[in-house]
Amino acid sequence: MFKIIHTLLITFMFTSVAFGQDIKPTLTVYTYNSFTASWGAAPKIKEAFERECNCTLKFVSTSSSIGALRKIQLEGKHTKADILLGLDTSIAQTANKTGLFEKHDLNTSMLLLPVPYKDENFVPYDYSYFAFVYDSDKLKEVPDSFEALASMPENFKILIQDPRSSTSGLGLLLWIKELYGEKAGAYWKRLAPHILTITKGWSESYSLFLKGEADMVLSYTTSPAYHMIEEKKNNIKAASFKEGHYGQIEVAAMLKSSKHKALAREFLSFMLSPAFADIIPTTNWAYPVVKTTKGLPNAFEQLIVPSKMLLMDGKKVEASRKAYIDEWLNALRR
Amino acid sequence: MLKRLYGFKGSLLPGLFVSFFLLGFALLLFMTLLGAEDPVQITRLDERVYGLLEFTLYQAFLSTLLSLAVGIVLAWSLAHQSDFKGRSVLVALFSSSLVLPTLLVAFGLIGIYGRNGWINQISIALFDHSFGSYLYGLSGILLAHTYLNASFASRSLLHTFESIPKEKYKLAKSLGFSTFQRFIYVELPALKPTLLSIASTIFLLCFSSFAIVLILGGSPAYNTLEVAIYEAVRIDFDIAMALKLALIQLAISTLLVIFSSNFRTGLSNLKTASVRIPWKEAEHIGWIQRTVIALFTLFFVLPLLVIIADGSGADFGRIFAESLFVKSFLTSLVFAVASSILTVVLALFLSDAKRHFTLKNRLADRVFSKPLSLLISFSGNLYLAIPSLVMGLGFFLLSQKYEAPIVVWASAAVLTANVLMSLPFALSVLSPVMQKTAQRYDKLVFSLNLGKVQRWIYCEYPYLKSSIGYVFALAFCFSLGDLGIIALFGSDEFSTLPWYLYQLMGSYRTNDAAGVALILLVIILSVFVAVPRLFERKVSGGEVAEHK
Repeated sequence: MFKIIHTLLITFMFTSVAFGQDIKPTLTVYTYNSFTASWGAAPKIKEAFERECNCTLKFVSTSSSIGALRKIQLEGKHTKADILLGLDTSIAQTANKTGLFEKHDLNTSMLLLPVPYKDENFVPYDYSYFAFVYDSDKLKEVPDSFEALASMPENFKILIQDPRSSTSGLGLLLWIKELYGEKAGAYWKRLAPHILTITKGWSESYSLFLKGEADMVLSYTTSPAYHMIEEKKNNIKAASFKEGHYGQIEVAAMLKSSKHKALAREFLSFMLSPAFADIIPTTNWAYPVVKTTKGLPNAFEQLIVPSKMLLMDGKKVEASRKAYIDEWLNALRR
Repeated sequence: MLKRLYGFKGSLLPGLFVSFFLLGFALLLFMTLLGAEDPVQITRLDERVYGLLEFTLYQAFLSTLLSLAVGIVLAWSLAHQSDFKGRSVLVALFSSSLVLPTLLVAFGLIGIYGRNGWINQISIALFDHSFGSYLYGLSGILLAHTYLNASFASRSLLHTFESIPKEKYKLAKSLGFSTFQRFIYVELPALKPTLLSIASTIFLLCFSSFAIVLILGGSPAYNTLEVAIYEAVRIDFDIAMALKLALIQLAISTLLVIFSSNFRTGLSNLKTASVRIPWKEAEHIGWIQRTVIALFTLFFVLPLLVIIADGSGADFGRIFAESLFVKSFLTSLVFAVASSILTVVLALFLSDAKRHFTLKNRLADRVFSKPLSLLISFSGNLYLAIPSLVMGLGFFLLSQKYEAPIVVWASAAVLTANVLMSLPFALSVLSPVMQKTAQRYDKLVFSLNLGKVQRWIYCEYPYLKSSIGYVFALAFCFSLGDLGIIALFGSDEFSTLPWYLYQLMGSYRTNDAAGVALILLVIILSVFVAVPRLFERKVSGGEVAEHK
């Protein structure tokens, strides 16, 4: 028995080594798991990019994008990653500080973003707004502000993500910080009884929400488009909050340790092409940063669009992220 | 004196070598942890650390209390209801909780007690009422810990109930004791020593609980030290914090182990027989007992049924086609086989050496015997003192210090953790049996002048093999189901079945997760049932006769 397994394992190792030594170079992208899922953006992007690059594009996924950054930090010099994709502007400064990332030298001034954007290392590829998503068949009384959210009845439960591991979790933390400032900790204490569970990544919460485990989940204003287009369902909606919605601009950068820098640069500039933009709305369910060839799908017109994108300066976030998280951790202690 | 010592070198040296090797390993780990960061950073304790510590102790205390309460009532009921159909199957089933992966238990509990679980669904269908969400947080942790430990406790306690001399029951009956008086004056005193030993074991297990808290905790408010260590390394990349927590965890669990080692005996009393207690229960007491058994059976079986029900609908073709699944599956299998072989060998070496120091006709009368015997016991019980994640952190720091591919370090870490995890159980099963074989055959073996190998073939193995089979199965299942250290090292390149399942549970793919959970459950239960039988079957007729 043991021998058979052993032989199998060795064969397996050899085959994987053989695949690794393909003639084409392999560009490795670390990202979060909902991006690489079979219905996510990765398969289509792989197909589109491989048509023009004469390379193999390989996505390696972790449960969250900050998790992918931590993985790169843990692996240090040995990391196989050429590109890290999926951080947002709130956490990109933290990544920059590790000194692991390389300048992109691309012109990002004419991108279609609601706010001005500039960063030497990280290139944006899509954006959206954080929002609490609910099922309108089940939830009749929908909170329209953070005040209303915290004043919901005791058995009203929400799913959120951990700000230490997930960009959406961090987004909520900063959203509340922007609105409540000094009183953010006190607000978290009020919100705490409504939190069903705090997951490491977005997809874990979202699947719990779809299984009916909670009334609302922290997600994006663009999430309902998925249900409209893929499932022809109109009952999943994002709650519009009158205080405004915190924004997320997702970014990617190449690593200094990459062995395929030319290829990595090619990928970053591909992210700013219409071919890439065409894929984003119906796979990653977000707004692309450049014009698509045919415009956005109709479902996107039915989405709520906040009048203003709240966004804290990345440098400010980096300077106080640890303090904010400590405040959050302390507020959530019983 | 030395001459006599020399005479035993063949069986002493391997055991002592293993023991010193293990202790050396613990020391290295400790030095690595200690030397890794600026000490000032480590000694500064803030409120959060106290909060973590407080909650870890608090939940372990409550879990132990609950598990013991349920365990006692269940064992009491089973002991007095000794002749219903399927009792032995039931008892065997409860004892499988020892090897059920915590990850699977969490998975099954969500299926029953989750907001969309069976209980709420039935309640909504019947009464249009949902109990809402109550599974995440302290209640979920307590529920899972009770699930895992009450069944384990009841198994050992049942054995104790059944070992109470029947004369005592007869005497109590003739004195006209009520059921309550019987419990207080006859049964409780007999339970006390077992209670202390399982209480301390359960407390230690809950103190370092990881997967349950990771999945059902739901918020940093319900973190144990283990989970906080994991988060500090993998989420925050705050090694100083992880180290601080690891040292606290290490200090407390070592203290607990030392404190409790006096009464930690007889974990292995797992063989129970159906012995009729000479006391016919009153009608209403009998009803209570049967209800307790029925309720606990439901409590125990339902989560397993959920796994089977959810899992059987999965698309197994797709699961098996996934290369990461195949990889994780093979890795898990190889590690399980390797670690169970290692566990058996190490446990045999250790108990072989240990019996020299405890037997009168060997070396028990020597001055050095007692400390050496303690040393061997301690080295075999290292896992209780060094929890998985602390060990993982040590390996992680070593991997940063000494260059080698991360996979190599990860394999070493997982294998070490798996072996150490099984060793305490292996020792508590094998050591008493080896003690007995020595008592029984020593004179014969010495007079016949049998060699080491002959002794093993003719005396030890036939007597030991059923225990070896049990230990092998136990170690195999422990290794296959563990989500501890792998949580620190897991990746697409190095993944085990529990890690893969945890990844699936965290993504959209609930159907695949259900399928993988079922696969894991089937393998574990079948190994746990089949492997010990495989060893038993070789028992020859003569051997059986001799046992009688």
